[in-house]
Amino acid sequence: MLLVALLAVPLAGAAFLARARGRVATVGHGLTTLATVGLALAVSVAVVRQTALQALDGFLRVDALSAWMVALVGVVAGLAAVEAPHYAHGASQRFYPFFHLFVFTMLLAVTTDDLGFMWVAIEGTTLASVFLVNFERTRASLEASYKYVLICSVGIAVAFLGTVLLYFADVTRFGDAEYALRWTTLQRLAPGLPGPIVELAFVFLLVGYGTKAGLAPMHTWLPDAHSEAPAPVSAMMSGVLLAIGVYAILRFKPIVDVAAGPAIARRLLLGLGLVSMAVAAVFLWNPRNYKRMLAYSSVEHLGLVSLGLAFGGPWGVAGALLHVANHALAKSVLFLLSGRIRAAYASMEIEDVRGLLARLPLSGPLFFAAMLALLGLPPFGLFVSEVMIIGAGFASGHAMASMTALGLLVIAFAGLLRTLQRMLHGEASGRGGDRGVWAATPLVAALVLLLMTGLAWPPGLARALESIRLVVGP
Amino acid sequence: MSDLSNFLAFLGLVTTLLMVWRQSRPARVRLLAAQSLLLAAQAVTIAAFTARYGLLLVAAALVVVKVWWIPRALTRMGRGAPPRPLGPGRSAGIQLLLAGALVVVAYALMLPVTASSALPTRGGIPLAFAMALVGFYVCVSGRDVVGQILGFLMLENGIFALGLLAAYGLPGLVEAGVFLDVLVVVLVTEGLVMQIRHEHAGLDVDVLRELRG
Repeated sequence: MLLVALLAVPLAGAAFLARARGRVATVGHGLTTLATVGLALAVSVAVVRQTALQALDGFLRVDALSAWMVALVGVVAGLAAVEAPHYAHGASQRFYPFFHLFVFTMLLAVTTDDLGFMWVAIEGTTLASVFLVNFERTRASLEASYKYVLICSVGIAVAFLGTVLLYFADVTRFGDAEYALRWTTLQRLAPGLPGPIVELAFVFLLVGYGTKAGLAPMHTWLPDAHSEAPAPVSAMMSGVLLAIGVYAILRFKPIVDVAAGPAIARRLLLGLGLVSMAVAAVFLWNPRNYKRMLAYSSVEHLGLVSLGLAFGGPWGVAGALLHVANHALAKSVLFLLSGRIRAAYASMEIEDVRGLLARLPLSGPLFFAAMLALLGLPPFGLFVSEVMIIGAGFASGHAMASMTALGLLVIAFAGLLRTLQRMLHGEASGRGGDRGVWAATPLVAALVLLLMTGLAWPPGLARALESIRLVVGP
Repeated sequence: MSDLSNFLAFLGLVTTLLMVWRQSRPARVRLLAAQSLLLAAQAVTIAAFTARYGLLLVAAALVVVKVWWIPRALTRMGRGAPPRPLGPGRSAGIQLLLAGALVVVAYALMLPVTASSALPTRGGIPLAFAMALVGFYVCVSGRDVVGQILGFLMLENGIFALGLLAAYGLPGLVEAGVFLDVLVVVLVTEGLVMQIRHEHAGLDVDVLRELRG
């Protein structure tokens, strides 16, 4: 019941907002967001207390891994929704419905047990968000939208190829077509699935969902789409949409590990992770556009997550999942602030942004703090999850890969720090003013959460990560 | 049944290769419609021989969406633009050679799949996979937006054929979702392409070079 409501609310909200205008639309947007976030948190809490929730004959199923993602979608969507009215005004009918449709498709992707339908939902996330990427209807946003929809649709079609192969492997052995693509079924039958076919399927699945996760070399759509979308949409795309690509890979990994041995997934994730970090490090050394800089930093962090999954073990998997959450919080705050910076300076070029601390007395220091978190400095959570991942690498005998990852992290760190330095100080250019204290509250709350994952884990976090590890496997 | 389904799969691959060879956009759109019609015929064949009448519904959806509606949308996107690429074209010979190499690759990759299948349709599995690979190649090497979308749809058709030949299609709900997705993808890209034509007066992807770095 809770699960059905979780999906019905954003969908109904989107339908209502397609007709609403003006103040009614803003209120409708607020209420839909409030209900969605509340239900998302309720579902997560319920799963931490029990083991898993089910609905509609098991078609919807939320275990610890899904609950983690549901909570993440809820929190980031909540943050983005607060900022949304500043962007939607005047054209709310082109913004709010797609915003909530986007949230709906993301929630559907992480709550369905049917891996075929998960594919449909993930393709749906692209189709709902492409309208938001093209919201400003400039030449640049048009180009970004076209590349986004084409590259992601082709990528995800490749993932569908993998899904079909897995379905074939399952159905030829065990029959039972209707439930064959259920994750619970596949997991139960995994020991009997033919290894070579599952291996082949996983390669396609990894390339396909890796495209959605923004892993290099399939990342080319990402900097364009993330930089051209309105800030709240960038926040959701970078914060949780990429993580949903990782989620999809995680659903298949335990099946492949059992059917074909853990070596294949480990090797592929390791390779993609290192390539992503290298590509990002090269760009981050000297970026020109700050939104593209944030986008490339997502490629870097998702690469690190991929490494954590490759290293495995309790620290690797928990570290990767924690890193997903930490990155979601830090990156969504930064993207939301990038929207304010753009409003104040009327430019996305780093060259034009000077004296940020003086020009935006609230948003400037917040940007500074969130960047420090993103750089992986203590006391913020990203430091902890990065240490967990790199530590897992050394513990599992991947010393070379860990050293390389550390080196790449340092290069990105230096580049980002230099850029941040240039933006923060100097004579303040630009004209616009800052928003009030109220507008800063949700962002401060997100930073406080990041401090908590860095300093003192809230009750239940360790248990939640442990139950996710049991779902994902070694 | 084996012979008929193999023959249909072979014809499907022939239309795929013809699409690589032809330069004229209207001709390639017609070939896509023909390819989708062959898929529908494949679905009907399997339905008739195995008494899976749900596949008739799939065939009907194929005819409506991929034989009728999508080619019309593609024609709308290209209306008024020159039917074949201007300027010195690339040699179709080399493209065909590459596509042929992909067919060989498809056979090699599908060996374990064909070997573990007991269905009478298994002979067509590598052909369907080859359709998907060639479609992917057409998409990434396409130089105008309609060409890229055509490649994407060929890839979709190839995967659909693979599902049909290897497992008699996917569960109904998933199949319906996939149809809906393809439909929306074409709808969305049509909107974008119309806007691109309005802004840049052309279909060439080389005009899309605003975003760099």
